[in-house]
Amino acid sequence: MAARLLSRPDILPPAEELAEAFSALLGRGVQLGPGGEHAHHHHHPSSAQMETLLQEGVTLQGALAVTTGRVLFGLGAGIPLGILIGILMGASRRADDYLHPIYILARSVPPLAFITYIMLWLGHSEAHRLIPIVYAVAVTMVIPTYHGARDVAGKYVEAARALGARGRLLLLKVVLPAAGPAMVGGLRYSVAIGWMTAVGAEMLMAENGMGNLLVGGGMWSSRLQTRSDPAVIIVGIMSLAAAGWAMDTGVKVAGARLTRWAR
Amino acid sequence: MMTWVRARRAVIGLVGCVTLYVLAAEVGHGRLPERIWLGAHYVENVKLLPTWRALVEEGAFLIESNILVDSIAVSTRRVVLGLLLGSVAGILLGLLTGSASRLEALAEPWVTFFRFTPALALLPLYVVWFGYGESSKVLLIATNVAVITFLGAHQGVRGVPRVYLDAAASLGADGQLRFRKVILPAAFPSIFSSVRVAAGLAWVTIVVAELINAQMPSLGYLLALAGAYPRVPTMLIGLATVGALVLIFDLLALLLHAWATRWMERAA
Repeated sequence: MAARLLSRPDILPPAEELAEAFSALLGRGVQLGPGGEHAHHHHHPSSAQMETLLQEGVTLQGALAVTTGRVLFGLGAGIPLGILIGILMGASRRADDYLHPIYILARSVPPLAFITYIMLWLGHSEAHRLIPIVYAVAVTMVIPTYHGARDVAGKYVEAARALGARGRLLLLKVVLPAAGPAMVGGLRYSVAIGWMTAVGAEMLMAENGMGNLLVGGGMWSSRLQTRSDPAVIIVGIMSLAAAGWAMDTGVKVAGARLTRWAR
Repeated sequence: MMTWVRARRAVIGLVGCVTLYVLAAEVGHGRLPERIWLGAHYVENVKLLPTWRALVEEGAFLIESNILVDSIAVSTRRVVLGLLLGSVAGILLGLLTGSASRLEALAEPWVTFFRFTPALALLPLYVVWFGYGESSKVLLIATNVAVITFLGAHQGVRGVPRVYLDAAASLGADGQLRFRKVILPAAFPSIFSSVRVAAGLAWVTIVVAELINAQMPSLGYLLALAGAYPRVPTMLIGLATVGALVLIFDLLALLLHAWATRWMERAA
């Protein structure tokens, strides 16, 4: 059975088909030649999904850039928000008592599930794709920051307070550096969550980006109805994995530099 | 004494949120726009913030008509199957590669690949491979759960202090006994915290997979329908239900974690 499945190109496309899909998605093979005619007359889209994507002018690098942009926005807005809430809860017992139960309830609702509700409030725009990403990133950043600020920084804070440090000095020189290593771990996890949420949001609601490329365009009510091309999907997944890995490595290296004092 | 204060504050916080919502709904009743432009067409008669009466009515309807119960049953079944399948595969594989470094080198590139593949990106591929039915959804959850629990089990085994193993060996414990009595219990905290993370992620994955590929009665389907009409009370009740289920699974995973690590000393 496994051998039969492996030999079927519509299940696992052979490597040359993947390479073909890759180069077609990069925009090669459909450019116009010098005389205004197609440079490759023999080129024809290998599947319905590929045809739709090429007609819509979708390229792999374009889709990846759009998704990366959304992820970066989500990280840029979500990380400070999550750190803020985490430090508030970690530093103040009172804030923790009031906010923690609310946080646990809020965290339990999957951000992509309320994407339609946001759409009702804000209309069909970029906002309802970005808000779930921001929310997902912020919610993941809270806990590591909270534990860093409460469990690790607690001792240092007492010592620094005794020496007269307070306010901004205390936050920037004591709490943040002490919570740093825990936060870097949370940061790497929230990067992964950010990518997942972005791709899911695009599958549901966007006209562009990697999620849209994977489901082959179309509106969300009719998505996954067209015959999908496994070669396109596999190329898309591999690109997403590469991008996610690259971003994770970046965060890891930057994080190791920022928390150098801890080792 | 301290716990009393904490409990009271928690209740105040939560009741405060509910009161805020009820007030906002009452104030917004009749004032919020009911005709909403959705990019392609207008939708009429939308209650952006349904009053608590509307929520209670809708909840009673969804429960009486069995829609909610059926949806919960279908989605929960998928999550439970995916969790079981995925965590058994992931934990076994992780224990194996954790103990045998030759296997680790073999598994490493695949693990890296799956680790950085966004969980939901596999959905269209699985639909092509396994069809629209149950198997694609259960396997989607299982894959994501397997990746997380694999890492948990692998790191758990790797994190066992060398001293424990040497001590057990010098006391005459053979390989099997060492595995059962030393490695496994020492790896449990890491394994079961990864199961907890995986349980949360499984719910996120399934609801969104059901939303994207809305066909069978399920919680994602309910949310998709509520979004298509749009019917806000249904939407909010669906969201609350998903949230409650996530919470319940998180508690169960926490209990499992506590039970599996009951041999350890507790700090507080």
